[in-house]
Amino acid sequence: MNSLLRRCILTLAAPAALGVRLAVAAPAAPLKLPEFESLAAKASESVNVSLDSSLLGLAAGFLDPKDPQDAGAKQLIAGLKGIYVRNYTFDRDITYPAAEVEALRRQLAAPGWQSLVKVRKEKDHTNVDIYISVDQGKANGLAIIVSEPREFTVVNIVGAIDLEKLRRLEGKFGVPKIPLPDDDHPGGAPAPAHP
Amino acid sequence: MSADEACTSRALLARATAGDAAAFGTLVRMHQRPVYSLALRMLSDRHRAEDLAQEVFLQLYRSLAHLESEDHLSFWLRRVTMHRAIDRLRRERRYAAMPLADAEMASDSADADPMLERRLRGLLEELAPAARAVIVLRYQEDLDPVEIGRTLKMSVNTVKSHLKRSLALLRAALAVPGSGAGGGSPTPPRPLPSGHRSLV
Amino acid sequence: MSQDMNRDDNHDVEQRLRAALRPVDPGAGFVAGVMARIAAERPRSARLPRTRAAAGWLTFALAASIVLALLVAHQQQARRTQQGLEARRQLIQALRVAGDKLELVSRMVNAQQPPPNSSNSGA
Repeated sequence: MNSLLRRCILTLAAPAALGVRLAVAAPAAPLKLPEFESLAAKASESVNVSLDSSLLGLAAGFLDPKDPQDAGAKQLIAGLKGIYVRNYTFDRDITYPAAEVEALRRQLAAPGWQSLVKVRKEKDHTNVDIYISVDQGKANGLAIIVSEPREFTVVNIVGAIDLEKLRRLEGKFGVPKIPLPDDDHPGGAPAPAHP
Repeated sequence: MSADEACTSRALLARATAGDAAAFGTLVRMHQRPVYSLALRMLSDRHRAEDLAQEVFLQLYRSLAHLESEDHLSFWLRRVTMHRAIDRLRRERRYAAMPLADAEMASDSADADPMLERRLRGLLEELAPAARAVIVLRYQEDLDPVEIGRTLKMSVNTVKSHLKRSLALLRAALAVPGSGAGGGSPTPPRPLPSGHRSLV
Repeated sequence: MSQDMNRDDNHDVEQRLRAALRPVDPGAGFVAGVMARIAAERPRSARLPRTRAAAGWLTFALAASIVLALLVAHQQQARRTQQGLEARRQLIQALRVAGDKLELVSRMVNAQQPPPNSSNSGA
């Protein structure tokens, strides 16, 4: 992950980086995610995942520790209390769901939540917001809102998570589970971190 | 694939992913022919091909959660089969000519020449694993060079180079009676194109 | 002329290759072989243990109730396995989407960063 993003995380989550498992901080409550009915109706594909701690525990029991990909996922979710994802893909450009996103932002304006990253790319009609929830100086929750011309995504993670590991794990999903160098992910490799 | 078939396949994949054994069995039946055939053309032995193909489906069973669509499934199966076959060939260093274990069924076509086809398959076994893989994907699966490159993790130029060289070798070998596996062929010798060197 | 011959020869070889490489089916027991290998990999608790029927109606009733209890347990285990596999599938999906978006953010933030100044210690 580039140095700017890494510094944001360290500044806001000092003294512990997000990757540190938190024994003391209470987990943030999951966000109340809107239904996004208007998006769901028009989406060509959608991902709707709500895994609380018991379902995460159940899923973890079916991850194969001998498989590197599963082992990575198991490590990543250790200590998490919930993962909630709403992802919608469309065949044509969509109207930004302003009302639903506003409802989300009102929750993210509550004490404890802080804006970590805000990127606006007018040319690509892409907006990204990342928020973290901080309790007693330690991060215990994450919210990502990404609006692209043909895709809309909300991710809410409850508990401590290593963002760099999560980002690296992404490249492994959706490709065969044999040791091949991965070139299927568009966009290529990220820029190396600066010292 | 028609829209109805795509819908059924999607539902089948979803059910198999959720643990429906019957749905997974149906998926195996739907895809066994291309997977087994690829393995057979690479390994030239029915038993080894069956063994490899079964391993591929076993790996599929473990990997269902990672597959997003029917197209992705087909691509995944092809890719895993070819890589496993190439790995096995390289490990065993068995790309000298080997006869097929059993006779194959006769073609329906009036133009069929079983002896020539058998000889071609024998010549194929003399190609290095990567070149053989390119030929099999091109002429069994009808993939274009870009798709072959994606499947085998090769650049398009390398794929085209393999195709060109392998076809030239096969053409030249067919022009020489008795060359390569399969013994004497009834095919009459053809004049070699000028400037081309024969395989033997 | 020789170029035409080349093309004709190539076309002929290609046609012959297509015929020689036509797909074929594996043996009749192939699918059963795959399912057997899968069954052999599954944990013991997912397999239904065998019981024997015995003579006598009391013994039969006992055996029947054991079988019934086992069937129920098996169904519950199968349901739990299904739920677990589904939860795992959803987890992988969720992690994929989350990781994908973090990768997007990383690229966007990278693109916004000014080029490094060699005289500077860092941005």
